[in-house]
Amino acid sequence: MKKSSFLNQCREVLAGVGTAQREAAVSLTCLEVQELENIFALLLLGAFVGLPAPPTFLSVELLPFMDREIRILHQRAEDAHDMLAEMMGALGADG
Amino acid sequence: MKILFFTGKGGVGKSTLAAAAAWQLSQRHRVLIVSLDPAHNLGDIFGVEIRGRRRRFTAGLYLDEVDLKKMARAYLERETQVLSDTYKYLSTLNLDRYFSVLKYSPGIEEYALLTSIEQTIRKEEGFDYLIFDTPPTGLTLRFLALPQVTVTWIDRLAAIRRQILEKRYTIQKIRRPLREGETRQEIRLKFSEDEDEIMMRLKSLHDNYRRLTGILQGGDCGVVLVFNPDLLSRRESERLIEGLDDLRLPLRLLIQNKVTAENEQIAAAVANSLRRTAGNHMPLRYVALNDALWAGAGKLYDIPEDLEADLEF
Repeated sequence: MKKSSFLNQCREVLAGVGTAQREAAVSLTCLEVQELENIFALLLLGAFVGLPAPPTFLSVELLPFMDREIRILHQRAEDAHDMLAEMMGALGADG
Repeated sequence: MKILFFTGKGGVGKSTLAAAAAWQLSQRHRVLIVSLDPAHNLGDIFGVEIRGRRRRFTAGLYLDEVDLKKMARAYLERETQVLSDTYKYLSTLNLDRYFSVLKYSPGIEEYALLTSIEQTIRKEEGFDYLIFDTPPTGLTLRFLALPQVTVTWIDRLAAIRRQILEKRYTIQKIRRPLREGETRQEIRLKFSEDEDEIMMRLKSLHDNYRRLTGILQGGDCGVVLVFNPDLLSRRESERLIEGLDDLRLPLRLLIQNKVTAENEQIAAAVANSLRRTAGNHMPLRYVALNDALWAGAGKLYDIPEDLEADLEF
C-alpha cells in the first residue's frame, strides 16, 4: 500500500468522524426546526382542521411556497399515532 | 387626493347621497365615484349604463362599478395558476375542486373588495376625490378591518418564520459549508431572510397592508355615515361608529336622510343620540330625498342640500 493512499484514507475517516459529530450536534435543532415548520403550516392551513385561521387569502398567497411545510405536516400526521417512538428517536434512546 | 367612504345600513340612501356628493364636488374638482355594492345602482342614479366599465359622466365626474364576483374569480384563477406551476407533482390533490370550494370561503369577497380599493387608490392619482359607495354595514366593517387583522397575523407568522430561519442558520453553521464542486445528500435550506420566499412574501404583504392602513387612518381619508330617523338605522349606525372608532378610522360627516316635517322629532332624537356616540363636534346634515324624485321629475343626484362644504376637509 502506498503511503499517500493510506494517509488519504485516514483523512477520509477523520472527515467522516467530524461530519458524524456535526450531525449529532445538529440533529436536535433539525427536529426543532421541523416542529416549528409544522406549527407554521398548521397555523396557516389550520382552517382545514378547525384551528383559528388567518384570513383565507393570506393562506392562499403563501400556499405556493409551502411545499416543504406541507410535506412535514403530512409526515407529522402520519407519525402521530406513535409519538412515543418519535420521542425516543429524538432523544437517541432507540439504540 | 381625498378618499371618502359612504356607509350605513342597507336602504338608507347611501348610493344616492354618495352620487349627490360626487356631483356637487365635481363642479370644482375631479371626482371618481366607485360603487362597491354588489347591488349596483350607480348607473340607475345617473341614468347611464356602466356595466363594469368606467364611464365619463361630465368633465369632472367619472363613474365606476366593481364586479366583486369577477374580481374574486380572477384572483383565484391567478393563484391557481401559480399553485399548479409549483405543485405539478401533486396533481392528485385535485386543486381545481379545492379552488371551486374556496370561492365560497369566508374572506375572499372582502379580500376582493380590499384589493379593488387598494388598486383604485394606487392607480387613480389624477383625481381630487375618490368616493366609494360601500356595501351594507357588516361587510364594510369587515373589509375596513381586514388590513389591520391581516397585519396582526402577518406579524405572528413572520415571528415564527424568523425562528425557523435562525435555527436553519445555526444548523448551517455547525455543518461546515460546502467546498467547491462538492455535493451533499441533504437539502440545503435557505436561511437568510432575503432568500426565503415565504419570508419575502410575508414582508411584502406586511408593507402593503401597513401602507393601506396608513392611508385609511390618515388625514386624507374619511367615512360618511348615512342613516334614517328610525330605531334600526340608529342602532346599526351606533355600532358602525363604535366599529370605526375601534379601527381608528376617521368619521367625517353624519347625514340623516328622509327627514320630513312629520318625523322631525324622531329625527332630532336619533341625531342627538348618534352625536353623543360620535362626539358633539361631528358635522350633521339633514336631507329629505324628495317625493318628486320618485316620479323621475328631477335628477336623483341633484339634491338641494349642500354636502360639499362639509366634505372639503
